[in-house]
Amino acid sequence: MTVLSDGDLQITLPDGVAGRKFDDDASHGLSHCMKRVDFIVDLIDKILFVEFKDPDNPAARPKDRRCFMEKFGSGTLDNELKKKYRDSFLYEWASGRASKPIYYLVLIGASALSAAELLARTDALKRQIPVVGPGNRSWVKPFIAGCAVMNIDAWNRELPHYPVSRISP
Amino acid sequence: MSKINHVRLENFTAFAKLDQALSSGVNVIIGANGTGKTHLLKVLYAATAVTTGEDCEKGFARKLLGVFNPYQARMTRLIRRQQGLPAAEIMVTRDDGARLKAVIDNQKADVKDVRVTGATKWEGTGLESAYIPVKEMLAHAPGFLATASKREIAFEEVYVDIIKKAFLPKLKGAITANRQKLLSTLQKAIEGKVVAKGEYFFLKNRQGELEFTLLAEGMRKLALVWLLIQNGTLLSGSVLFWDEPEANLNPSLMGDVVEIILELQRQGVQVFLTTHNYVLIKEFDLRQKTGDAIRYISLYRNEEKAVVANASDSYTGIDPNAIAGTFSDLYDRELRRNLGGLIG
Repeated sequence: MTVLSDGDLQITLPDGVAGRKFDDDASHGLSHCMKRVDFIVDLIDKILFVEFKDPDNPAARPKDRRCFMEKFGSGTLDNELKKKYRDSFLYEWASGRASKPIYYLVLIGASALSAAELLARTDALKRQIPVVGPGNRSWVKPFIAGCAVMNIDAWNRELPHYPVSRISP
Repeated sequence: MSKINHVRLENFTAFAKLDQALSSGVNVIIGANGTGKTHLLKVLYAATAVTTGEDCEKGFARKLLGVFNPYQARMTRLIRRQQGLPAAEIMVTRDDGARLKAVIDNQKADVKDVRVTGATKWEGTGLESAYIPVKEMLAHAPGFLATASKREIAFEEVYVDIIKKAFLPKLKGAITANRQKLLSTLQKAIEGKVVAKGEYFFLKNRQGELEFTLLAEGMRKLALVWLLIQNGTLLSGSVLFWDEPEANLNPSLMGDVVEIILELQRQGVQVFLTTHNYVLIKEFDLRQKTGDAIRYISLYRNEEKAVVANASDSYTGIDPNAIAGTFSDLYDRELRRNLGGLIG
């Protein structure tokens, strides 16, 4: 069983599933020019790009929390998430590892977010990262299979095999 | 100024027994279709309407008849349909202790037989009010009042009433800074002012005068609120009833509408509104300031299919929240579509 953590959030992977921290200066080596998602999980027939955002982190300052929620509501965050996905995809593709369908999972550690807000951000992210190509035609080589913005409740409801939780009690 | 602070409905329309304390500020009534939101609004409006103007003569029972407009004017049709058909009871209370009660007996359909008590004290203090129905009426004002006074038409009285209120002339005297602020906010949203010529309303701006029939329906609604503020209908101590403010309005204007409602509340107007709209209630949540009084009243059917209510003074406490519930369902389905390969 592998546990990947970032700040106060962690994801537990089932036995036999490999995952690695991608947002790591030493192993990434190109952080000066490429954005990166937090983790990459390698399943048998799929790849998960995982990004954690944690405004509810007990260590977060109220100012940072406020700042994040502004980014969340204004669409600035969508743009940031798009860049992280695009650069991470490019990095993995150029490394010869983007050979399976990739799902982009964004976890927002904010319990107060409603389904409407998460739905709006999921829609916005889909507009930023085109799942289908021009003219609503499928890409010859799709570069994303699906994406979603979730809070902890939604994640654990939809993806119970890869549970996420808080580290702090 | 006394506010309405309580309503009790027994066996009335959809309600088996509703016993609900009301906010002196904004009351936001939510619930699925058929849970009696508009009925609640109309009962309270009928109670306020009879305290002023020509409706004083009419009395509570006749006003109820007018605003509900039951088939063949049979008041018994307002009794909740169930076996045995007990009497329906309505009781509305104000914070000065005045209590208006009406009992509709199941054997007596005639409005004359509705037993009203407490009317003398209730009508002793005037409570100015306006009821904005879902359908916009200003564009249809020409000839409507004359027709309504001479013919039996299938319009509930709220439509006649709101046109009459809109026709009231501008209030005399200087406009206070607070009222001017409201008028300015509305003028910005509708991009002009409203002028009446005879029975015709126009939106006046730099481009000229645009007749209401050419104006978007959502804009006409905001123009109506502008008129009600300008002519002094909505002053401190008055009551605004607004059935689905979101109707025909682009969500981008919802923030302005909520700001106006909150500002009216800050100026002492008691507000009752119904809504199906997520953006509207979320705007209340986001724009609420310390001191703003907002009560969310959620109407829903219990296991016996009777409508009951849960109230909360905070957005997160709304339970059940039929509007957010719908979004949860949409969100879950969207996740399943996006992550189908992962979930399956």
